[in-house]
Amino acid sequence: MTQLKTLLSRQKWLAAAIATIVLAALLSVMSPVFLTFSNFQSVLVQASVTAIMAIGMTYIILSGGIDISMGAILFFTSALFAQLMLDTSSYPLAFAAAISCATLLGALNGALVIWFRMSPLITTLATYSIYRGMAIHLTGAQNIPVPREMGFLGNGRILNIPVPIILLLIIFVIGIYLLNKTRFGVFVRALGNSQRSAEETNLPIGKVTITAYAIGGFVTGIAALVLLARVGGLQSGIGIGIEFTVIAAVILGGTKLTGGSGTIVGSVIGAVFLVLIDNGLNLMNASPYIYDIVRGGVLLAAVVVDRLSAYRAEQSLRSQRSARLRETAQA
Amino acid sequence: MKKLLGAVFAGAVTIASGAFADDIVIGLSVDQLFESRVGVNNAIHAEAEDRGFEVIEVVADGDAQAQNAQIQSLIAQEVDAILVCAVDQNTIERALIAAQRAGIPVVAYDRDLPESRVVQAFVGPDSLFDGREAGRYMAEALSGVEGEVVLVELIGALNDQNGIDRSAGWREEIAALENVRIIEVPTDWDSSRALSGTQNAFQQSENIHGVFAATDTHIPAVETVLTDLGRLVPIGEEGHVVVTGINGSNDGYTATAAGTADGIVVMDLDTTGRTAVALAVELMAGNEVPRTNVIPGNFYTHDNIEENAAMIWGAP
Repeated sequence: MTQLKTLLSRQKWLAAAIATIVLAALLSVMSPVFLTFSNFQSVLVQASVTAIMAIGMTYIILSGGIDISMGAILFFTSALFAQLMLDTSSYPLAFAAAISCATLLGALNGALVIWFRMSPLITTLATYSIYRGMAIHLTGAQNIPVPREMGFLGNGRILNIPVPIILLLIIFVIGIYLLNKTRFGVFVRALGNSQRSAEETNLPIGKVTITAYAIGGFVTGIAALVLLARVGGLQSGIGIGIEFTVIAAVILGGTKLTGGSGTIVGSVIGAVFLVLIDNGLNLMNASPYIYDIVRGGVLLAAVVVDRLSAYRAEQSLRSQRSARLRETAQA
Repeated sequence: MKKLLGAVFAGAVTIASGAFADDIVIGLSVDQLFESRVGVNNAIHAEAEDRGFEVIEVVADGDAQAQNAQIQSLIAQEVDAILVCAVDQNTIERALIAAQRAGIPVVAYDRDLPESRVVQAFVGPDSLFDGREAGRYMAEALSGVEGEVVLVELIGALNDQNGIDRSAGWREEIAALENVRIIEVPTDWDSSRALSGTQNAFQQSENIHGVFAATDTHIPAVETVLTDLGRLVPIGEEGHVVVTGINGSNDGYTATAAGTADGIVVMDLDTTGRTAVALAVELMAGNEVPRTNVIPGNFYTHDNIEENAAMIWGAP
């Protein structure tokens, strides 16, 4: 039991994984359809957009920041892509412009936070409004259909695997490598753990912060194109509130909101967990009036259980440490 | 109803002529911007321009508190009438009462404020009628199905009267089908939620016969799911899933013209916007107007949608 507690305190994503497995087991009892391969695939496809964005958000939160403007970046990127396709019909131009812009907008958030030493929450709240406004201005709040061929990003398959899942896997692998195998990953965690220590040890705080936000922007750009392809066109409601789902996925996955500690695996599991809730409710044909209650309740329960287990694990570690100290003193 | 609206129009145009027109300023308080809302707003601007009125437009971007402040600002600017599409009735009621005290008539458009003590007139879609139109078609199209008929309903926002009425109207007509099971999917007018909900619904039951979209902007998401499952079959071919929606957007038009959707109810945005201004003019002149003015939509199917493209606001 003590070993499990220690493991849970070290591998924070495990709590989310256990919660997901419990929820999945519960749903498989309640709905015979749940435990089928096609439903499993459907859940992953549905989770792909949130999970891709959650990978980017993990870097930002790990570095001690937060990006409320992610939904607005998603909307602006979609709007830019759709408008450019409408005007030029050039895929290379539209793709390049959309992804570059998303990355730049993310980087701009990081730059504003660093240059003006502003709170990331307030900064990105302001840019949220600006980016959404830019998108509305660009399109005149009109819906813009995207060409059918673009549907490949949303419906296509490679080796019989849906393209959104493949994109998620690629970003997942790169994300893990970058975070765990590079100096940048170490710097991100160090910055989130203590900005003062990072400053005192001359870490390139500016570069690390801007890069973390730029990664967030880049993956949001990719998520935007997947979502655009799946929804079939640009609509002005696209991306509203998605940043909160993304943040919830990251926090559910065990990343500390204050930064420094967390994993990409956890964030992706968090995204899948959130999709499972809706999937289960749909499969059980639940009343539409209880969706928000269940969603909020399960989320709250998961976070409370996670916090309690973390608290108990910390207490256990403390008591072990005290015991060792007593033993040393006695010796 | 159309005759009544015509009479309101004619009276209003007469009143509006002359020196009265030049000084009139209409305050337009908008909940948020999206395609159909912009369509109504454009009609309001066009009607106001035809009459020589000025329009001050403010957009709350879905924030009820912001809309409250914006209406207060319109009152401070001494507008002559306020046209409002509310984010939330309760939050803006105090601002609307302030408008009444300042002698400014208030007309609600597109979204009614039935509990308001201040709103003197409402103009908007006849959502019950529109829902019935979509439901009647679906009930007829599926009347020959043997055994259980499984339908997916993509519900709009649960707290939006238009969404509630569309659902109620659709269900009234669907009740004609025996042995029907409805899978309800709440979307909050969000197509990404419609997408995942439809995906889940088709996991729950492979044998789905029809999908009703409270807004036809969800139809491309339905097409995506049907494509995923290899079930995007055009109308008239075996295995076709009956799809209907309400709105009149390009998404609905394109899908219906292509035969992947069966038909859409098209809202008359132009009449809605122009009537809102006409009602305001009547109220400014101290005349009485009907409290509720609803405008039924027109249902177009795959067979006649292209020839009626000029009547559909979202058609290219």
